[in-house]
Amino acid sequence: MGMSGGSAEGNDKSEGQSFSCKNKLTALVVDNGGVCRVIQTALLRSYGVETEAVETGEAEVELIASGATFNLIIIEMLLPVLNGPETARQIRTMGAQSMILGITAFFDERDQQEFLAAGADEFIEKPLSPEVVIPIIRELHN
Amino acid sequence: MEVGQMQRRLIEYTKSLFMEGILDDQFLQLQQLQDESNPDFVVEVVSLFFQDAEKLLNDITRALDQQSVDFTKVDAHVHQLKGSSASVGAQRVKNGCIAFRNFCEEQNVDGSLRCLQQIKQEYYHVKNKLEALFRLEQQIVAAGGSVPMMELSF
Repeated sequence: MGMSGGSAEGNDKSEGQSFSCKNKLTALVVDNGGVCRVIQTALLRSYGVETEAVETGEAEVELIASGATFNLIIIEMLLPVLNGPETARQIRTMGAQSMILGITAFFDERDQQEFLAAGADEFIEKPLSPEVVIPIIRELHN
Repeated sequence: MEVGQMQRRLIEYTKSLFMEGILDDQFLQLQQLQDESNPDFVVEVVSLFFQDAEKLLNDITRALDQQSVDFTKVDAHVHQLKGSSASVGAQRVKNGCIAFRNFCEEQNVDGSLRCLQQIKQEYYHVKNKLEALFRLEQQIVAAGGSVPMMELSF
C-alpha cells in the first residue's frame, strides 16, 4: 500500500503532515473503556484512518472471523474475559496480518513480553498520541 | 464584559489549570481533535470521563468495603481510571491512580482507602475546574465570540 501520486489530501491535525486518502488505511480499536475508545478512534480518524471500535476481545475475534481486515488493531491489555494478549494470539492464529499495537494504562515489562509473544508488534502506555500514530501511519503506507 | 476580556480571562484560567498541574498536554490534544464536524468533542469526551470516573470510584469504594477485598478487581478499576484520566489530561487524577496501584500491589487496604480519598478529591477538583472552563467558553460563544485555543507545548 503506497502513497499515490499527485497532491496528497488528508485530515492533518498537527505538524503539517498529510497523507494520501486514495488507499485509506483502516483500524480497529479494542478497549472496554469508553473514554479511551472514543479518543483513540477520533485521533486515528483525524489522520484519515477509517476506524471502528469494539469493547471486547470476543467482539474483535468475531469481526476478524467474519472476514474483516484492518491495517492496524489497537488492543487494550486488560480486557475482561479475553484479555489483550489472548485476543492477539487468537487473531494471529486466524491469519490476521494487521499491525497490532498493545496499549495499557500501566506499562509493565512482563505485560510487554506477554503481548509481543502473543503477536503484537508494539506495546505502549496510554494515552495514544500523534508521536506514536504518525510513524505507524507512515510505516503502513510504505 | 466584552468578548475580548472574556477570551483573555479564559486563556488565563486555562493556563492556570496547567500551571497547577490539574491538566496536562493531553487536554490540548483533545482540543486539537475538535473541529467543525465535531464541534462539541471536548465537552462530550470530558462528560463521558465524568460518568466513567464516578462509576469507577463507586466500584472501587464498594470493592474496598468488602470483608475480603478482591484486589484483582480493584486493580482492574484503577487501571481503567488511570487510562481514562491520562487520556483526557486529568494529571492529578492520573498520578493518584499510580500511587493507588502501589497500595493495591501490597494488598494494603488502609493505604488504598487513604489514596482513594485523595483521588476522589482530585477528581471533584478537576471536575469543578473543567465545568467552570466550559461555562466560560459558553459565555464567549453566547456573546458572539470564538473560543481561543491554547497552543501545544511540544
